[in-house]
Amino acid sequence: MVTKTEETQLNRLEGQVENGGGGAWDYLCFVRKLKVRRSDKVLKYGLSILNDPKKRSSLGPEEWTLYEQVAIAAMDCQCLDVAKDCINVLQKRFPESKRVGRLEGMLLEAKGSWTEAEKAYLSLLEDNPLDQVIHKRRVALAKAQGNMSEAIEFINKYLEIFMADSDTWRELAEIYVSLQMYKQAAFCYEELILAQPTVPLYHLAYADVLYTLGGLENLQAAKKYYSSAIELTGGKNTRALFGICLCTSAIAQLTKGRNKEEKDSPDLQSLATAALEKDYKQRASDKVSVLGSALKSLKVSS
Amino acid sequence: MGVGELKYDMSQNGYIKLVLHALKHNSAAVNGVLLGRSTDDVVEITDSVPLFHNHLGILPPLEISLIMIGDYYSAQGLGIVGYFHANERSDDAELGNVAKNIGDHIYRYFPQSAILLLDKKKLEALPKGKDRSPVMRLYTRDATKNWKLARSDRGNRLILKEPAANIVLLDFVSSEKWQHLVDFDDHLDDISKDWLNPDLFK
Repeated sequence: MVTKTEETQLNRLEGQVENGGGGAWDYLCFVRKLKVRRSDKVLKYGLSILNDPKKRSSLGPEEWTLYEQVAIAAMDCQCLDVAKDCINVLQKRFPESKRVGRLEGMLLEAKGSWTEAEKAYLSLLEDNPLDQVIHKRRVALAKAQGNMSEAIEFINKYLEIFMADSDTWRELAEIYVSLQMYKQAAFCYEELILAQPTVPLYHLAYADVLYTLGGLENLQAAKKYYSSAIELTGGKNTRALFGICLCTSAIAQLTKGRNKEEKDSPDLQSLATAALEKDYKQRASDKVSVLGSALKSLKVSS
Repeated sequence: MGVGELKYDMSQNGYIKLVLHALKHNSAAVNGVLLGRSTDDVVEITDSVPLFHNHLGILPPLEISLIMIGDYYSAQGLGIVGYFHANERSDDAELGNVAKNIGDHIYRYFPQSAILLLDKKKLEALPKGKDRSPVMRLYTRDATKNWKLARSDRGNRLILKEPAANIVLLDFVSSEKWQHLVDFDDHLDDISKDWLNPDLFK
């Protein structure tokens, strides 16, 4: 996961390189570290270094890492010739390498040769049954062909072995949400919250799924998780604040006519509303009236 | 006039915004909402707002966005008249369940609502040809409450108001104008970002 600070840093560096201010290698290292997907820029800046013999030799042993990074970026941009060239260079330098074998498999994927790619990955897995990257490539292969049930099956098998891989739990949750399998998505977020209880993103995502599932119990739970997200972010998370308003409104609709003592206190909603109004006044003043009417329509009279 | 013969007239700006949104997040599914008004035989799509590029299937951001966007445009006498969706994979031409459910929700407020699905193959082919028709497929709800692809034997039911819209679109694509496009997801992450995109067409 990338923080806002890291993203701003990365964008600033990108702008600097784009405007001829140098720093291409720093940018490429940063992209690798953050594991973000900026393939068009990586391809452009990476090739400018690789195609310049002086710049290339100044990298020393990092040259090969760059070839790998550019190969992957080239595949993402469908520049398969560039990718093939990079892979050839790596093959000459590291014959019999499994890491290069992985890249060859990815090239087959990029070409759309699904069966050959699957064969390549399976043979690599025979010698390295615990290679996490190859397992994930098989999931990507299934997803690329639109075979979501197979992708889910592979991910579940992977998680039986690598159950601490939070990125994969998140990927699984996203797939479940896209298929409207909300109960299963909720399970994934529960695992994530158990493993890392202080990451507000998981509380927020869990609350969103609970709200989508609906029903009084889920809405009340959602409200709790929006609250914990607010606490973990110091009250600065717009989505969680809106979530409180939505939950309060939906709960009030469901409990209309019930005993007043059973109803939630309105304090939480008014606090959330006030926080939103204050923030919009400061940072999105032209949207204050639209916010006002939206919040008004969410207030259900008790 | 039955919904089966209704025509949908789309403004250039509304059209371009949605396609740019899909291009900005080209490895994800994206969606958007269509704004406009209806007359006897035409639904005018005068504008659009790009919505999300993450987790299209959850309700809370969708509900907030529809309330706020609906409120904003109703002051101009416009309403939500439809929904736009772009699938994650370029070879996926099917209207999925998330899109249909959101379409159903909008249908309840506007019975002539349309779903527009991005045709990624047609979009890819755009620079090579002189196609003036929109790179989207139109779906409307029939009497059996199913979303059906609009029939083309009676002529295109989805029309671009400005015939040069695709040329303008290609121009925006080549100058990478999609980099500055703001959707509702971006707004929720940072409310200083404006989902109206007032500077996009300046």
